Amino acid sequence: MSAIASARAQRRWDIRVDWPNCYARGLCHELLPEVIDLDEWGYPIVNAAVTADLLADAREAVRTCPTLALRLNKTQM
Amino acid sequence: MTSMLRVAPGPLLLSHLEDGPGYRAHRARFGDLPKLSRNDLVAAAGPVRGRGGAGFPFARKLQAVEHRRSPEIVVNWSEGEPASHKDAALARVRPHLVLDGVELVAKAFGTKIVHLVVPSEREDVTNAVLNAVGERAHPKRYRIHHATDRFVAGQARAVLELMAGRENLPVTAWQPEAYQGFRGRPTLLSNAETWAQLALRVLCPEGRPTTLLTFAGESAAALVVEAELGTRWGSVLPAELPDHEPLLLGGYHGAWTTVGWLRPRPIDHDLLRAAGLPLGAGVVLRVPHTECPVTMTARLMNYLAGQTAKRCGPCFNGLPELARAVSALAAGTDTQPRIRQLRDLVTGRGACAHPDGSARMVASMLARFPDEVAAHVGAQCGALPRAKAGVA
Repeated sequence: MSAIASARAQRRWDIRVDWPNCYARGLCHELLPEVIDLDEWGYPIVNAAVTADLLADAREAVRTCPTLALRLNKTQM
Repeated sequence: MTSMLRVAPGPLLLSHLEDGPGYRAHRARFGDLPKLSRNDLVAAAGPVRGRGGAGFPFARKLQAVEHRRSPEIVVNWSEGEPASHKDAALARVRPHLVLDGVELVAKAFGTKIVHLVVPSEREDVTNAVLNAVGERAHPKRYRIHHATDRFVAGQARAVLELMAGRENLPVTAWQPEAYQGFRGRPTLLSNAETWAQLALRVLCPEGRPTTLLTFAGESAAALVVEAELGTRWGSVLPAELPDHEPLLLGGYHGAWTTVGWLRPRPIDHDLLRAAGLPLGAGVVLRVPHTECPVTMTARLMNYLAGQTAKRCGPCFNGLPELARAVSALAAGTDTQPRIRQLRDLVTGRGACAHPDGSARMVASMLARFPDEVAAHVGAQCGALPRAKAGVA
């Protein structure tokens, strides 16, 4: 793998939840089970950073959240 | 809460209380305000920590707005923590020191209008602040906002919501207030004591930095004292207290410790934080005679659960659940695993730190008083009959 490709593969993104806007619809968990679990009340538990291979799914989760309560930010290194 | 409030004389902030709160006596005591540059102010603010609870260095906030034009200035005088009375004491004895701090920053940064957020349920505080404002040279430059009487109303984002005309409740902060606060503008929002401490660094730079503490819980009247940072707790704690006496340091969002642990250690933000005991708003709460740490934690947790803004799911589901679990523990059921599980479930999952602070207080009780907890589980605690029942 080239240096650029490996640097790309190591990029990470954070999912942040806008808690007052989250109504526990659970779609984010359906779309991104690798990163998002649900707690006993149905609210998201963000378990890990988003890796490059999951980025498309993460964007989909952010876009389709019924209450637009998710944000995706590049992790500050 | 209580109107019974005693203020002990202190080295700096609470010195010469006999002067009274008037403006003339204040100016005669502290001298005229110098006009400072932004750099001077940042340098002077060095040792000042945010006294609202988070303990954030004030100089860092100033640096964040250093190159911005006329940042919004907000004094948070609302003191949402029910056990804390230091800002009420300041309103009564030294309101002009708070306003001096504000004026120094407003002049240096070219801010014309200053916002004062006062507690609507403490009329004496509001009146004292209004009186002080009326004595200043430009009373019309102060805008007064009345905070709602609830625990989370004093949180920074909740205060900004109130000022914007919305409900006085927390919302998600995507950026610190210093970058994006009131109306999306850079905002210097700090607790009343913080502003007074800043003024002291300018007006009495030779005096050693201090902090205000509220002693409460053992009697109806709270006591506000001023202590030099770096002195030992033994110099401010009543000498007659036994070493095993439990103390809740930092208030309802604080953490449990004992007199014996605290006494030899210095009053130091970083040292306390490293020990898992953030000083918070400086509350030192004792356990009433009728209670033990376990039943008191259950009582406070029930109060805190009722103070959720009901906006964030993990908080409005988790805190009542946590209150039930702690009450069950006080009544003799071993719910410790469930309490720890709930702590992990609510921590870091809300717009404000209400769930975090509540869970920390409960968890510190489990960690600090395993014997008392065991006594409850074994139904041997003397405070047991008074524990809240009605738990499934």
